[in-house]
Amino acid sequence: MLSCRGLRKDYVTERGEVAAVDGIDLEIAAGRYAAIIGRSGSGKSSLMAMIGGLSRPSQGQVMVDGTDIWSLSENGLAAFRNRRIGYVFQFASLLPTLRLVDNVALPAMLGGGARSSATYSRAASLLGQMGLGDHLDAYPSEVSAGEQRRAVIARAMINEPALILADEPTSDLDEQTEIEIMDELLAVNRERGTTLILVTHNLALAEQAEQIVHIAHGVIVS
Amino acid sequence: MRLLASLALQNLGRRKARSLLLIMAVAVASGVVFTGATLMRSIDSSMAVGFTRLGADMMVVPEGALTNITAALLTVEPTDLVVDQDLFAKAGLASVSRAAAQKIARVEHSGIGSHHDSVDLIGFDPALDLTVRPWLVERINRDMRPGDVILGAGREAALGSELLIFGKAHTVYGRLGRTGVGTHERGVFMSFATLEALAGSVHGPNGPPAVLQKGKVSGFLVELAPGATPLQARFAILSTLKGVKVVTGDSTMSGIRQGLAALLNGILALMVLMFASTALMVSVLFSAIVTERRGELGLLKAIGARRGQIVGMMVIEAVIATGAGGVLGVALGVLVMRLYERSLVYYLENIGVPFVWLDGPRIVMVAVAAIVMASIIGALGSLYPAWRASRRDPYDLVRGEG
Repeated sequence: MLSCRGLRKDYVTERGEVAAVDGIDLEIAAGRYAAIIGRSGSGKSSLMAMIGGLSRPSQGQVMVDGTDIWSLSENGLAAFRNRRIGYVFQFASLLPTLRLVDNVALPAMLGGGARSSATYSRAASLLGQMGLGDHLDAYPSEVSAGEQRRAVIARAMINEPALILADEPTSDLDEQTEIEIMDELLAVNRERGTTLILVTHNLALAEQAEQIVHIAHGVIVS
Repeated sequence: MRLLASLALQNLGRRKARSLLLIMAVAVASGVVFTGATLMRSIDSSMAVGFTRLGADMMVVPEGALTNITAALLTVEPTDLVVDQDLFAKAGLASVSRAAAQKIARVEHSGIGSHHDSVDLIGFDPALDLTVRPWLVERINRDMRPGDVILGAGREAALGSELLIFGKAHTVYGRLGRTGVGTHERGVFMSFATLEALAGSVHGPNGPPAVLQKGKVSGFLVELAPGATPLQARFAILSTLKGVKVVTGDSTMSGIRQGLAALLNGILALMVLMFASTALMVSVLFSAIVTERRGELGLLKAIGARRGQIVGMMVIEAVIATGAGGVLGVALGVLVMRLYERSLVYYLENIGVPFVWLDGPRIVMVAVAAIVMASIIGALGSLYPAWRASRRDPYDLVRGEG
């Protein structure tokens, strides 16, 4: 499913170039739940950004389902992100001017092709599955942080991606909400067979993963 | 496209005060440009009328002709001498902008006025004229035709009424305002063709006056080219054209006319600068807006928005705001011009200074141009910041970099 070869990311700082990710090789099979763990600044978010087509590697290759994503054109990569990858970020990543149902439908609408009525019906269904059926018309500011995160998971699912990338998705939530959100993500992984890659510094969340990748100073240590 | 427009509209609605300020700033700029352009064109036309009412810069007549110098050169003088009508067309003098030929025949027993009244029949070329039509205070609402005559202010007849000249029917097309110049006030003005058609009816001691022959005129009223001095033009005319003499008008007026034309061009340059500074302001504002929304733009890119969609959304947002500003500016401009019309224009017309507004279709064209320009400024001002943001990696934008 996912294969990384010699992946490297350098950032230019005032003190010169710093390697956030320093030559990582990684394989994750389709349908797996993998956790990338490490301390803050270890390079795990940079790795995830390169895997997800969000940040161009300084060096190396990322293959997703046989496609070298960084060899795609600008628009090709945008379409790939749109159709094949769902993102759950570590911040409340909903557009504040759109209702929850609009936010969930947005990736399908941006991708084009889908009929608006069918997209909205699917968005409503996904929000219903996340327990937000009564909040379709609510704006993000009108629901709780946990509900916002559930809406983000619904948005990640709208185009039925092969891969969900979750970057510290529960870092700002209370313990109970954290459990509920993780349950939702694991349900998506188990019931739909969607590959889930979770980036976290919370070892308890990583314990349930089928594959744990431990990163320190930009390299895999175990 | 609908999705992008809808997102752009919602973005504008988020920061109502800022959007309103942007719209107002563009409204002021486009209002000034709309009002300025309309008034400038109107003032230009009014000046053209006003200055031409003051008469030509100089008069060119046959060498032996007697001339009665008046304050304003509005008509040539009646004389038996003639010159060729194409004299100036052949010479092509750079210091002369326009040379309006006139024929003038002082006749008696024409049927106008009492039996022994002499009447000046004045022929002019409506295409080159600079001293007759500017004085029209009323006319029939159509173009001038053969057989039409214009009466000087000293003659009374209803518009459209029939006027017999040597027994031939003519139509009173228009009436001139008071000029204080005798020939002009008493004259009956008509096209060359209409005057020449009377040749068979006008009889002097030596047959019909020579000026009624086709291709012959009594003289020319001359307007100087921008920048040319009366001295230069006089020298050029006398050294090029034979058998003529030059009568110079009030050179102060020529200077003022040329100076004001330069001033109007200066105002136009200021308006262009104002529009350019508005474009810069929009660009700076949209740079700030892009910086503020980096996270959202990164998110949109992450979930699949293409570069074109990111740029499109920002540009549509700017075009909606600046277009609305343009429309508001035009509305404000119309209000300002109404005030102007009721105050200064009313005053000017009361003291006899003509003010000629641009006609309706042209005002609409200027309004549409101001709105389109405002929208283009929005598009141009937002294009670069939007393009720059669209080039960034989504991750950099989400992290608040770039």
